This record gives sequence, C-alpha cells and structure tokens, in this order.
Amino acid sequence: MKSLSITPWGVYSVWWRHFQVYRSTWLVNFLPPVSEPIIYLLAFGFGLTPLIGEVTYGSTTLSYSQFIAPGMIGIGVLFQSFFEGAYSTFIRLNFQKTWQALLTAPLSFSEVFVGDWLWATTKGTIAGILTGLVAVVAQLYAIQHLLLALPIIVLGSLLFGAFGLLVAGMVRKIDQVNVPIFLIIIPMFTLCGTYFPRTTLPQALEVIANLLPLAALVDLLRWPLGLPNGWLLPLVWLIAWMCLFVWLAAKRIYPLLFR
Amino acid sequence: MSDEPLTLTAYDLWKCYGDRPVVEGINFTLHPGEIVGLLGPNGAGKTTTVGMLYGLVIPTRGFVQFGPWQIPAQGKQARAQMGIVTQEDNLDPDFTVFENLSHFAHHYHITGVKARDRAGELLSLVKLQDKAQAQVDQLSGGMKRRLVLARALINRPKIVFLDEPTTGLDPDARQEFWRMVTQLKAEGCGVLLTTHYMDEAQRLCDRLFLMQQGKVIDEGTPAVLIERVIGEEVAEIEGVAVEKLQALSQSFAVWGRQFGNGYLLALPRDNPEALWHQIETLHAPRLTRRRANLEDVFLRLTGNLLG
Repeated sequence: MKSLSITPWGVYSVWWRHFQVYRSTWLVNFLPPVSEPIIYLLAFGFGLTPLIGEVTYGSTTLSYSQFIAPGMIGIGVLFQSFFEGAYSTFIRLNFQKTWQALLTAPLSFSEVFVGDWLWATTKGTIAGILTGLVAVVAQLYAIQHLLLALPIIVLGSLLFGAFGLLVAGMVRKIDQVNVPIFLIIIPMFTLCGTYFPRTTLPQALEVIANLLPLAALVDLLRWPLGLPNGWLLPLVWLIAWMCLFVWLAAKRIYPLLFR
Repeated sequence: MSDEPLTLTAYDLWKCYGDRPVVEGINFTLHPGEIVGLLGPNGAGKTTTVGMLYGLVIPTRGFVQFGPWQIPAQGKQARAQMGIVTQEDNLDPDFTVFENLSHFAHHYHITGVKARDRAGELLSLVKLQDKAQAQVDQLSGGMKRRLVLARALINRPKIVFLDEPTTGLDPDARQEFWRMVTQLKAEGCGVLLTTHYMDEAQRLCDRLFLMQQGKVIDEGTPAVLIERVIGEEVAEIEGVAVEKLQALSQSFAVWGRQFGNGYLLALPRDNPEALWHQIETLHAPRLTRRRANLEDVFLRLTGNLLG
C-alpha cells in the first residue's frame, strides 16, 4: 500500500472540509441525532425508574436513571460515530466522489482516510459529551467523572467510527448498511449493559454481550461505580477492536480508489 | 522552484488487471506550454493512463517523473503542482460554487483572505462570477466542467490533465472550454488532454498519441499524422458498387474503405485529379471531396471509428 505519507495538515484539511459541511447544515445534522440518546435517557430514566426503583451493579446499589446514564453516553458515541463512518463515508465515496476529488489535491490516501475517521470520531465525541452534560444537569453523572471519561468517549468514537468506515468499504449498496445495523449495532445497543446489567442475561447471551465492544465501553464509562474486571482489560479490548477495524477498513477502502 | 517550468515524462507505463493488460508500454513527455492529446475510443486505456500520471492508478510496471518527483511514490507532492480534471464531476454538492473553490484551496495551504481572493479570480476566469453563491446542482453541464477546471487551477499548476473534459457538452460550451485550454497553454502550462472527439484533438493538440486497446498505435502532430497515414484529400462516395471502388483503390494504390452506407477513398498525393475524374465518371448519387482528417487516420489504423 503506497501513498502512506501522512501530515497533520493533510489530515486536518480533510477533517476541516467535513467540519465546514457540518457547520453550514448544523441544525439538521446536529440536533436530531444527538437528541436520540438524550431522549432515551429522559424517557427511560423518568419512565422506568418508578417501576424498577434501584439496580444493583457490582457491589453498588443505585437508581435506575443513574444506572442507564453512562449507557446512554455510550449509545450516543456508538450511533453518531458509526453512522457518520458508515453512511456519510459511503455517500462521500460512492455518490459525491468526495474522496476521489480530495485525491486530486496534494493529499495522500492515509490523510483522506484518517481525516474521515477523525471526523466520525468527532461526531461520536460530541454526542457523548452532550449526553453526558444532560446526565450531569440531571445529577445522574458527576462533572468530574465526565471530564475523566473524555478519553474513553474519544476511544469509543474512534472504535465505532472505524467500524463505520469498514462497513462503508464493504457494502456495495447503501441499503446493505442495514445488515450490520440489525446484526451488530442493535444487539450491542440493547444487550451490552446499557439498559440493564448483563448479569441478568442467560449465560450464553451474557458471554456474547461481554465480548461485544460496547460492553467494555459502557463498563469503562461506569467506572465511578467500580469496574467488574479492572480497567486494563476492557481498555486493551477496546484498543484491539479499534486497531482491527481500522486496519480492515483501510484494506477495504484502498482498492476502491487505487486500482 | 515555484516559477520553474516542469516536464512530465512517462516511462514504460503498464497496467494489468490480473493477466489482462489495459495499458501496455506507454512512453511520452509533456513539455511546458504544450498540449498533448491521447486520442482513442472508449476503453482504449486513456483514463487509466491519466490515473497513472497523477498517482491514482498504480502502474504494474514503469513510473512517471514530474520535475523532481517520481509518481506514484511521491504523487502527493507532485499533485501540489498539478491540476486534475477527472472525467466524472466530483464537485462538492454540500458547498456553493464559491466554496467549492475557497474550501478546496485549503488543501493547498491557501486559507482565509488568500483563498477567497483566489476563488474570486478563478470564478472570473471561467466566467462564473455571477454564480458564486449558487449551489452546484443549479449549474449546467458546461458550467460544472468550467468549475472543475477552475478548481484544478487553484494552486497555479505547472501541468493540467483534462480527461474527456467536453464529453456531453453542447457546441458553445465546448468552444468556451477550448478557449480556456488555449489560454492555459499560452501561459506556459503543459496540458494533457484525453478525448474521443477528433475535432477537439485536431484543433487543440500540438502532438497526438493514438491509442487502441491499451497501446499507442501512432503519434505525431495532427497534420503530420493525417499527411502520413491518409494524404491530403479524401473522397466520400455513396451509391456505387463496392467492387468498382475496390478496383479503383487497387489500381491507384490508395487506401479505401467501406464506411456506413458509403465508401472512403484517399486521393493520391501527386495526382489527385486522375482518380477524382475516374470517380466522377461513376456518377455516384452522393459524392464529396474533402480534406483528410483524424477520423480517417483512426479508421485506417484501427479499422474502427472513434466515438
């Protein structure tokens, strides 16, 4: 794989292009998607807490709203970075030919790729932070914990952004993006300790849920409540998934452009 | 460095997909202030060749030297001095006409006021200043091509690649595009043009490479190619038995070929009148005598028409 040369300006310039699009259409692009995890937080938080009352997580007992708050941050990260990486990158690659246009400028494949990836990461990070801020205002998550969770939010966004890019590089038609959504994203979104502790699942399902990357992300986001397996293992697990996805995504997208 | 003219040379470029070669052993040099044309039918390998010149297609063998840079290895650095108009429009539908230029300038480290000034200059150059705030999808086909050209010129490139730039444009839009290409040449820019329009190649190009099935089958200036391959004049004859014309072609030892409903016969260089009189005695319902052109050259060399 040639044209690996990468400079901060090149990556920034690609990222900046996506940011300019976002800036000009921010009301459409920003509010509806970011509102999704916030609505879940408010709806399930207020709706289910009176029915469920308290939840035991590890050795801690806490209100249901407090339990789901980190899960909703994780969902914001997952949805925003994945959808930007999958749908928007697919459109930029196949319909708008943005990548092809960028590659007529003095930009390398790596710069265009990393610029797209970091943009998906940025969107996931924004969603994670905003959901977190709502949780802080609702007194479900402490502000200092949110600050310390920032690197985890970024890592999760890098991971699911890379997964999105991989999907964009794999599918031939935009409808096919639905396949990983229904097979991977929805199961992760529901089963990985977002709405209930994974320990309540049947054992086989619990094992699968534990392996999916959102589980490690949500566990890490819940770090103020204590970590079931220590912090290193889920962190390494997330980094491993991220490296795998980004490597596979680059391997899939490169031949679509350089023939 | 920035004012120095740069020459581009392709050394033995090959591209194979699996066992199938699509470009075979292309060699040429593009000098500053020169328009070189790659002329050939669809599928001849023109776009693949252009792709190899700017680094998007990785050659199976050979390389390109442009000034101090080798492509594909240093394609990114080389592209800073290149302007590339690809065959498909890849303008940014998310931006206005003006932003398509000012935002693209960012990739060349041209930012802020400088980027906006340059965008304004280029819009005037391609006569789109009235459309600055329009969306890309409001532009006609010709305007879009001009905007893609303007975008390619952002960094004042030393060479410009135009890959079938006027395909699908109406005659006026093509004329306008040609005017701008001639202007680039006058400013010392090297231009590589691919086309399957013979009139475009004949009018614009200083040198031509005729391509068929991935190979260069002949090269030269348009006038020299026509003179060497066909001669000066051609007769187009309709409504006469082919056998009679084939006999004429043989007796005068000139090229002749069936073409659509009619027949083309090259008139000999030294004494065209002798053959012409013979043709006239056949009383063809339709008979035309005209200057030989590149279409005839292509027909003779490949047995096929361009188009």
